Amino acid sequence: MDSFFKVFSAAYGGGDGYALADTLSPIAPASQPDKLRRFVHSTNYASVQNDFKYRLLYDKASPLRLNVEEGKAWVEVYVSFWKACVEILQAEAAINDNQKPSWEKVYRAWKEVSDHLNRGYTAAGFENWTVPCLYVVGKYLRMFAIKADEVASSLEQTTIDFNEDLSLDDEQHANLEDAARQLNKVFQLCLSDRASLEESRKWGIYSIINLLFKTYFKLGKITLSKNILNALRAYRGDMPELDAFPLSHQVTFKYYVGVISFLDEKYEECETCLTEAWYMCHKDSLRNKELILTYLIPCHLLTTHTLPSQALLEPYPYLQTLFSPLVRCIKQGDLSGFDAALAAGEDEFVRRRIYLTLERGRDIALRNLLRKVFIAGGFEPAKTGEGSVRRSRIRLVEFAAAVSLGSKETMETDEVECLLANMIYKNLMKGYIAREAGMVVLNKKGAFPGTGI
Amino acid sequence: MASSWGGQNIPPAPGTGAPGTTQYFQPAPPAYHSVQVRQSFGITQQPPFIPAQFVPPPPAVSIPQPVTAQRPKTEWPASVRRYVQRCFDPKNLDNDIPRAEIEAKLKKAITSASEKEQLHSIDWDSLPLPQEKIRSDRVQATWHQQSVDLRLGGNGNGNTTLSQAAKKRKSKEMGDHEESNPPWRAANNQNGIESRITYQPLDKRQQQSKEDTTKASSKFQKNLEKRQKRFDGGYKSTYRSPSPDAAAGPVVGTCPTLFKQYFRLTSAPNPANVRPEHILTQTLELLKNKWRKGANYAYICDQFKSMRQDLTVQRITNDFTVAVYETHARIALVNGDLGEYNQCQTQLRVLYAKGLDGKSLEFKAYRILYFILTSNRTSLNDLLADLTIAEKKEAPIRHALDVRSSLALGNYHKFFRLYLNTPHLGAYLMDMFVIRERLAALCNICKAYKPSVKLRFVTEELGFESDADAAQFICDHNGQHLIEERDDGVHFVTGIPAAQLFEASKNAIGKPNGQP
Repeated sequence: MDSFFKVFSAAYGGGDGYALADTLSPIAPASQPDKLRRFVHSTNYASVQNDFKYRLLYDKASPLRLNVEEGKAWVEVYVSFWKACVEILQAEAAINDNQKPSWEKVYRAWKEVSDHLNRGYTAAGFENWTVPCLYVVGKYLRMFAIKADEVASSLEQTTIDFNEDLSLDDEQHANLEDAARQLNKVFQLCLSDRASLEESRKWGIYSIINLLFKTYFKLGKITLSKNILNALRAYRGDMPELDAFPLSHQVTFKYYVGVISFLDEKYEECETCLTEAWYMCHKDSLRNKELILTYLIPCHLLTTHTLPSQALLEPYPYLQTLFSPLVRCIKQGDLSGFDAALAAGEDEFVRRRIYLTLERGRDIALRNLLRKVFIAGGFEPAKTGEGSVRRSRIRLVEFAAAVSLGSKETMETDEVECLLANMIYKNLMKGYIAREAGMVVLNKKGAFPGTGI
Repeated sequence: MASSWGGQNIPPAPGTGAPGTTQYFQPAPPAYHSVQVRQSFGITQQPPFIPAQFVPPPPAVSIPQPVTAQRPKTEWPASVRRYVQRCFDPKNLDNDIPRAEIEAKLKKAITSASEKEQLHSIDWDSLPLPQEKIRSDRVQATWHQQSVDLRLGGNGNGNTTLSQAAKKRKSKEMGDHEESNPPWRAANNQNGIESRITYQPLDKRQQQSKEDTTKASSKFQKNLEKRQKRFDGGYKSTYRSPSPDAAAGPVVGTCPTLFKQYFRLTSAPNPANVRPEHILTQTLELLKNKWRKGANYAYICDQFKSMRQDLTVQRITNDFTVAVYETHARIALVNGDLGEYNQCQTQLRVLYAKGLDGKSLEFKAYRILYFILTSNRTSLNDLLADLTIAEKKEAPIRHALDVRSSLALGNYHKFFRLYLNTPHLGAYLMDMFVIRERLAALCNICKAYKPSVKLRFVTEELGFESDADAAQFICDHNGQHLIEERDDGVHFVTGIPAAQLFEASKNAIGKPNGQP
């Protein structure tokens, strides 16, 4: 208790939100593995309330002079925090005894902490420098909910009720969905603060939004993220600019917005957001950079038709295995290799939701293949006085042969034509098909835009 | 300051929960100097009676307000003043209820009495205090809320609880709630110990002030005690509600009629109007026959809806349920009724997930096609992730996936081959986006071919039944001038202007799939 209050009063007295938030961390730091246990054992159910009250409000020796209402609210927060810690220790003890831990209880207890904290902001005037507490409590709210759901699903309770309408996912993520609702309350709490910007809780908003995004992604309810973005847009005028927030909030937010636009196929928007996130991301946080690249690379394939260099992928073994085979096939114009690589990685691609985007990389592979045919066609017989000109009239069958390379069956010429038509339509190739003549007539200059030919 | 009390809900610590503790933490000088009360009611005189232990701050009662001075003087009866007095008696104040709320309530009560000129006729001494009204309102609100929650949260007894809630809403009396345990039990579950703690001090305080509580409030108090007993488990409910109880399970239908019009339920279903499964089985067969004989879709759809409702209220989930939903989905699909189709599809998804047998592959394939139709990339992604390797090899799903990839790559040649060989009823879904894709393909062709192609080529590539159909399609989109008859057959003139023409038509009907 004593050490706890020392930390609390130092943090509170110094107005250090992050230090204050640390007091609400339910995980003992590595330096003090016993911290939580000692904290729990320092009091008991009967006296916890009075202990906190005394320390926070009536201890004459304490340097703190809290406002009565605010102090009482903090007492509630810490009493509920203490109770949650008791549950956490019990869950951990259960794991040590090889028994099922009740994370559900931990989650419930932790939600109380969150409730009391929210109440502190709405009713007891917690100041805005304390918002890091919301981050910490929100973060663990999500984690405990996930743990509780894991236990619940391992118990396999398949009691679907056939009430008004059926729904599938509810019982698998009951706690996490509850956590999402709770986080949404915190979001509203931050968003609707009408205090002037200097003392506004709005400064906590992006951290909470990021937690919400994470939760929605986990729940597979990504569409809900758009509600958040809409709400944000509606309040745009009264909101500090994004770049005034801590860098970590910005990066995560940009990343999620980027991925959301990626899923909506708004690749331009995605490119902007992810590129910004990429440049702002801390150079050593490889994991985050890897996540950004997972979406930025397929995005670039479509927007700029560019492939990642070996050097870029170097530090990320996961991305190498993910993209290298495809990248190689696209470069070489190896269609059947591309199809094989896409099929081989399908599960992982689909899980990452990049399959549909990568699939379109086939266009680039095809473009490269056709370009090779064009180059292989060589030059027209040189005429006097002119530089060498590439043979620009190419028989359809030449393309047909190239397209069928490596695959066991020969593609019908109609289908080959269709592929060529697509290339022309998408401006990957300049020219036209003269169907009657069975010829493809390519532009003499810039037949394959952007490739130097 | 006064209004912020509302959030200051401080239950006593367990084990120390004496009312003394609570009072100890009350802000030392309570905010009794609020002036709004006086302003509103225009009490201009010192109330005749002041409880000894409570000395109201002088401004609250003595200074006449200019506002009231201008009004025609109302002589407030002593009973009204006593009522106001009683209202702000510290014994009767409750941390839970913000002072502002009490004031508002009090003001309302007195103003309305004064407007109706009932100031003298109302028995102010026995009128419940505003805070009691607020409290009972709150209780009723949570009650209401909880029964709604219960219904939504679905303990499988939706209709029953709904009807009970409806009954509760009507009865203003709080006295008859012993018949319905569920809402309270739910309250107990939801709030755990908290709900108990919140109400305990309230009880105690009420007991203290028993002498001056009135008839009505003591009735309320009695109910609270009853509820307290129930919480403690010392009170067993003996009366059962006549409406079907949670324990009774789902409705068991007894209706022998085969056909029934759909009617949206607004109360608990009457078993006499619900058909049991063996009747429904016959109904399904008869309906299928009627459908084959060309019955009107509106009628068939209505009949299916009533069947689905009967299944739902009886909570029948078995292969027969699947058959009903599948049949309805197919019929809806054939009639282009995407709304009903979707309802069925949603339910089917759950039924399949429960392991019930059916044509799950067929319907999964429809789902893929449906997402292509609506260009729902996100859901398509999710669906792809859900498919197993074995499922992907099954013909209907394979077909739907090929449709998707051919569109994504702009391979209209393959797409229209697939279109002509669609298994099951998928073609009805594909019909809905085939125009869009034909226009996209025409744009493609117009831009890529020069100077023209034979109409026959368009017919084959775009999966038209005949040259005439192809020509009709082109004409429908204002391309008459692009069709030319020559010696070697009918030609379709391509080129950029033609491409632009179809591009415009295509944009008019929405973005086609797969094109960036």
